[in-house]
Formats: sequence, C-alpha cells, structure tokens
Amino acid sequence: MRAGLRRFGGLAGMVAIVLFFAVSLPDTFLTARNLLNVTQQVSMLAVVAATMTVVMVMGDFDLSVGSMASLAGVVAAMLFVAGWSIPAALAGALAVGLLGGLFNGVMVSLVGILPFVATLATLTVFSGAAFLISDGRTIFGRDIPEAFGAFARGGPQVATVDDRALLLPNLTLVALAVILVVWVVLEQTTYGRRLYAIGGNREAAVLAGVPVRALRLSAFAFTGVGAAVAGLMYASRVASANPTQGDGLMLTAIAAVFLGMTLTRDGQPRVLATMAGVLTLGVLDNGLTQMRVDSYLREVLVGAIILAAVGLSAMGRRGLRGRG
Amino acid sequence: MSGAAGRTGEAPVLHLEGLSRRFGQVQALDRVSLTLRGGEVHALMGENGAGKSTLIRLMAGLDRPDAGRMALDGAALPPGAPAAMRAAGLRFIHQELHAVRGLSVAENMHLDHPYPRRAGLVHWRALNRAAAEALARLGVTDLDVRRPMTDLGTGQQMIARIAATLIDDAGAGDRPAWLYVMDEPTAALTGEEAERLFEVIGGLTARGAGVLYVSHRMPEVLRLAQRVTVLRDGRHISTLPLAETGQERIIREMTGRDLSALFPERGPDPRGAPVLEARGLSAPGLHGIDVTLRSGEILGVAGLAGAGRGALLRALMGTLPRTGTVTLAGAPLGRTPAQAWRQGLAYIPRERRSEGLMLRRAITETVSLPHLARLSRAGLWLSPRRQREIAERLGRDVRLKAASVAQACEELSGGNQQKVLFARALAGRPRVLLLDEPTRGVDVGAKFDLYRLIRGLAAEGVAVLLASSDLPEVLGLADRVLILHEGRLAGERETAGMTEADLLAAIYGARAA
Ligand SMILES: Nc1ncnc2c1ncn2[C@@H]1O[C@H](COP(=O)(O)OP(=O)(O)OP(=O)(O)O)[C@@H](O)[C@H]1O
Ligand SMILES: [Mg+2]
Repeated sequence: MRAGLRRFGGLAGMVAIVLFFAVSLPDTFLTARNLLNVTQQVSMLAVVAATMTVVMVMGDFDLSVGSMASLAGVVAAMLFVAGWSIPAALAGALAVGLLGGLFNGVMVSLVGILPFVATLATLTVFSGAAFLISDGRTIFGRDIPEAFGAFARGGPQVATVDDRALLLPNLTLVALAVILVVWVVLEQTTYGRRLYAIGGNREAAVLAGVPVRALRLSAFAFTGVGAAVAGLMYASRVASANPTQGDGLMLTAIAAVFLGMTLTRDGQPRVLATMAGVLTLGVLDNGLTQMRVDSYLREVLVGAIILAAVGLSAMGRRGLRGRG
Repeated sequence: MSGAAGRTGEAPVLHLEGLSRRFGQVQALDRVSLTLRGGEVHALMGENGAGKSTLIRLMAGLDRPDAGRMALDGAALPPGAPAAMRAAGLRFIHQELHAVRGLSVAENMHLDHPYPRRAGLVHWRALNRAAAEALARLGVTDLDVRRPMTDLGTGQQMIARIAATLIDDAGAGDRPAWLYVMDEPTAALTGEEAERLFEVIGGLTARGAGVLYVSHRMPEVLRLAQRVTVLRDGRHISTLPLAETGQERIIREMTGRDLSALFPERGPDPRGAPVLEARGLSAPGLHGIDVTLRSGEILGVAGLAGAGRGALLRALMGTLPRTGTVTLAGAPLGRTPAQAWRQGLAYIPRERRSEGLMLRRAITETVSLPHLARLSRAGLWLSPRRQREIAERLGRDVRLKAASVAQACEELSGGNQQKVLFARALAGRPRVLLLDEPTRGVDVGAKFDLYRLIRGLAAEGVAVLLASSDLPEVLGLADRVLILHEGRLAGERETAGMTEADLLAAIYGARAA
C-alpha cells in the first residue's frame, strides 16, 4: 500500500510539474515541437544517466563521466584535424571511452579503490588529458566536418507544422537506442541480473559463485562508452569541441538516477525510472528557461526539487521499515 | 530431475585429500581428508570454529586451500573455481541466510546458476516455473515466486535456498547434481519445515545422491546420517558409521569432554515478583497479548512460523511500533531500543548478521555498543582498555573462540558470532533478557554452557523471555511456556512434566482451535 503511495506520489509530482508549465506557458509548452525539442535537449543526459544506472545498480558510482564526455569530443575533433574520416574518428573517440571505463573498472574491482575515490581521480586525469590534447582551445569551424555537425541538426521528418518540417532529432534516436540497449542488458540478461545481485547483497553474490570482480570491472565499460557517446553527441550539436563542455553531465546524471530510484519498488535504480528522472529534469529546465527564470535561480530550484523528491521518498521508506 | 547419479552404475566418489587452510594465526583446517559418496548422508560435526564451513567453502571453490587436493572419481578438480564445482555436480547451501534485496524469490533461487534463456534473453516464465517446481518438491505451493525475497520470513527464505539446489540446471557436459552440501540448513526452520527437508533428503539419497550435512542438532544427525565425521580445531578426528557411534561418543570426540546431560539441572524454583508486565500489547503481527514475566522466571515462547514469537520480543524491545501498556518493575517501558537497553532489557535478535553484529568491526565494539552511555565516563569517554577487558571477560563466559577480541566479527565462525551477541546482551547486567533463537548455530558443548549461564542469571533474579523453535530447548530451560498462534495468545502452560509431544500437540492444537 504505502510503497504504492510513495511511488504514486513521485509520479504525481512529475505530472504536476508538466501541468504547471502547460498552464503557465499555454502557447509554447505542450506543442509537439517543444516536446521534441526537450527530448533532444536531454538526449546526452539520457545517455549518460542510462549508463550510470548500470554501475549504480551495483551500488557504485562513476564521477568521471563528465570529463570523459569532454575528452571524447576533443579526441574526435583532434582526429578530424589530423585528417581522419568521420567513422574512424568516432571509433577512436569511443575506444578512448571504452579504455577509460575499463581503467575505472580495474581501479575499483581489481585494485580495490572505492569508486568514489577512483573515479574522482580519473575525473581529473581525463579532464587534464582533454586540455593537453586540445591545448585548452575550442576546436571549431573548418576543422569539424560539415556532415558531423549536420547530424545533430537532422532527423527523420515526422510531420509538417506551420509549413515547417517537424523532425524527430537524430540525437533523440541515438539516446533511445542506448536506452534500449541498457534496458535489455539490465532487465533481460543474466549479466544484468547479476549486477543487481551484487548491489542487493554482495556477500550473497560471492557465495553463489558470481564472479563479482569481473562483473564490476566490465560494468564500468558502460559508463565510459556512454560518456563518450554523449560527448560526441554534444560535439555534433555545437559543431565544436572544448575540454570542459561535458562537465555538467555527471551531477545531473546522478541526480536523474536518484530521482528515478524514488519511483521504483524498494528504491532500486532502474533504467526506465532513470529516464523519468531525466525527463523531469529536462522539462524543468526547458520550462523555467521559457519562463525566463534566471539561470542561477533555476539551479537553486532544480536542486530544491531533487532534495524534496529524494527526501520524501526516504521518509516514505522509513515508514515502511517501521511497519516491517 | 537432478540427483540421478547412479546412471553410470557406480556411485560417484569425491575425495578430499590433505586440505589445509590458515587464516593469520588460526589454522582453520589442518590436513583434512574425507571421502564422500553418493547414496548416503554424511554428517560433519564439530564445535564452533572447528573448520566445517571453511571446508565447505573450499569444496564450493569460494576459497583456495593452502595445501591438498580434491578429486572426483579420480580426476582432479581445480581449486577456487565455483563453476567447475557446480559442473562436477556439487550443490551448496551455505551457513548464513543471504537474500538479495530487490530480486524476486525466483531470481534469488537462480543466483548460482544461469537463468533460463530464450534467444539469449531471460525467459522469465521458465525461470518462475523452475523456481515454483523446486519449491513444490518441498511442499510449498502457495508462494508467489515473483515476490521480493526479502518480504519472506527467515524460515521461508531458507526453504527457498534449499529448493534452489533442487533446480535441475546441469549444463551440457556437466554432471547432474549428485552431492548436496548443507551447512546448518535447519537452523532457521520450524519443526514442520525441517520434516519436509528430511523427506527430500531421503528422496535424494534413495536416488543415489549424497548429502554432506552439518548441524548442531544431535537428534537430526542421529536420525539422518549413515556416517559421521568429527573435526576438532581444524583436524580430522574420526569418520565412523553412525550405527556404531552413540551421541556420547560424538560429543566426546567433538569437545574432548564428557557431557552427560544436554541441559543443566534445575535448582529450586527461582520465580519471584512480576518484573515485566504487558497488557493488550499489539504490534504488526501481534494482537492484544497479555504477559507477565516474573523475576527469575524463564518463560518460553512457542508457536508455528509466523505465530508472532519474534514480533513479541521486538515489540517489547521497541524495534517494532507497539500499542498497549508495558511496565518494567512498575514503571512504563520506553518505546525505543535505546530506552529499552537503558532500562535493563537486553536482546538477542534472530538474525545475527543483519540485526546484531557490526561485521567489519572488532568484537569489542559490537559487545559494548548498546552500553556505551553507561560504561563511559561522564557519558563521553570509554577507555579502550576497559572496553577490551569487558569483552574478554564476557567472551570467556560464553566460551567465545576468537583470535582476540580485536578480531572482526565477520571472521568468526557462525556459532562464535552468535556468542558475541550473547556477550553483548550480558554486558549491561540486564534485568530482562529477550532471546530469539539464542543458540542458533551454537555447538552442543557451548550450548550447555550457555544454558547454565542463563539458568545462573535466572537464579540471580534476571527474567528471561525465550523464543525458540528448538522444542527440547524450550522444555529444558523454561519454567512456563506461552503458545502463540497468528499473533494471539493461544495458551500458557507450566513446563514441569511436559513432554515434547505435549508441547507439539499444544502448538498444533492452537492451530486446530
Ligand atoms: N576469513 C577469515 N579470516 C580469519 N579467520 C577466519 C576466517 N574464516 C574463518 N576463520 C576462522 O577459522 C576457524 C574455522 O571457522 P569455520 O567457520 O570453518 O568454523 P565452523 O566449524 O563452521 O563453526 P560453526 O559451527 O560455528 O559454524 C575459526 O576459528 C574462524 O575464526
Ligand atoms: Mg560454520
């Protein structure tokens, strides 16, 4: 009962936010164009948050995703400068993401450093590396191939509204693909269920012969690659790359996972719930921007809403345990 | 069906040869050799810390021996490889209950083997069906396997763990399951549930499978096993056919001493004035209970699983919210555990690992935690030396076997972890002891000492509330017994002259009524 109420409360809160903007911005908010726009705005966050969910189901974190996103963008841009083709440069950047993720995994699972500490350190390492290879400059203009920037602006047309084509943004499609992959991996494979087992009771997993180290190591590859994908999406969207452009992603992604956890039964991270968190944050940002709320005030508001949601859910949970 | 081992004619044989394992100063296993065959129940006995679970962890591939080898029908098995041991047809029920939060019963039952798959993805229906079928073999048909495991009571969780080993999942080229290793499987079960386990064990051995069975409950071992191996201090003492070995001999080989009785003699009736009085006590799972506990009295609490034994103690202790009036020596009893400890209640919870111990911390810290305010100077400063002395003294009283009191609780054997909780309960000189399955996993010799300790405390005027599914324990210790049924008081009897059959009849009678 109570659990249902608590989850329902979370959903109700999200619906309330949407309603609030729908009423306050009657002409612009609930339009197909704006909603598609929201999905594009949150697509990078969605990718990072989805892959963050993979490590968070084990009770781990990856703080290095933001700087990995920047690094991947910079790497791709530098490879463009060096004359690589688009596919080759993208592959190079994704490989950097994979290696960085595996490196995190080795530090956490084989060396045994707390994820918080290990990924805090690699955050600095990746960020420093991004500055080193880019010389601290923004790479833009002629150095970035036309088609790379065009990708983010394009997408299949779904309708024509007011004589203008309404596109389903390519970035949204990429995000959907990543979400689908993560959902299948976490919810429909033994591998993913083992990750949940590690998070639910590490000792039980060990006793059952689950190869905890190997699984933890490999899971960090997801966050590394996810961050690199997001970094490339960002670079495509702004048709440029600089060594700080992914910085904001990490905290927001973790916040989205936490928001999602308030919606699930017994408070576990689940990727679809994470997406509800991502959309909530995206809608908030979009609506408040349209209402011309000052950007600093916006940050205060978003932070307060996260605290309220997670706090209320924690209180609901305590009530549950008291009954238990 | 698993357990069809005799397929190739001869029963399989697992040889353990000269296995040794050392932890720091402790030689947990010292060149132990053992031969296990299909078709029989082989009991593994030994005091707490004798090395039984260590041996089992080596067999499961969870840990590597320092020396020695394992071989199945002559072929060597690799050490430290859980998957290889599964493929060799070995199945394990480890000592402690381990439920994975957030996963369903069916998923928890598939922790140590791959989920059924279709096109590479989890085949949920097959998964749930396999779990439900395995449970049905233990007579459990009314359990929704999609529920979260942590919603279940301890007994049912244990049943699910046991059922998990019965799921037939041998992969291609693997040996079908033929050896079931059970480390104290009945410790969390009621009599009824245990009976079902024994039936299944009978079925398994009849089909040619073997069972390695660890338990501190003598009657079970005498009834089930054909052969018994005794370990002491990590060394193999003997392996004998049970038919030629009496209970006395087993106990002597385990403990190195003679134990004529399992329970200490009763002195004169120590019961005095009422100490703890509850009127109309209700809590989740508990409805309007009236109890009076007198000083010096040992009051047993019996009932079926889910009858509310644990809830009664937890409601008194304040870990469950309660209504009704409860007084301690006339004064109202506080509603939080902190107040209860301060007023002189002491509690041994049923789940030692999740409810009592600080597993990663030193023994001393668990022992003194509830008493810090009282033990420390001005409520602020407790000298580590004083803390250590207290833990050492109490550790001796409860026959704790540990390298030192600075050792982390998670490194102790299961029975010794239980003794740490006993020490914790006694550290505050309690007026009322609330015991929930207090000797779970404690060896016979140490049990006797704990019983004597409880008796001694009662003789000094401490009142004891003893919830236990071990009926001989209730009868052997308690002066009076409460029978609970579905959260209500269904009866109250003096134990003098009562037999186990009488008590069972009273418990089941409560259900019929
Ligand atoms: N990880 C560890 N670190 C240090 N010591 C350990 C560790 N595991 C076991 N030991 C020690 O090895 C000895 C044997 O422990 P084991 O758990 O095998 O006993 P047991 O026979 O299963 O006892 P019980 O009946 O209480 O379960 C004990 O002295 C224990 O403290
Ligand atoms: Mg043990």
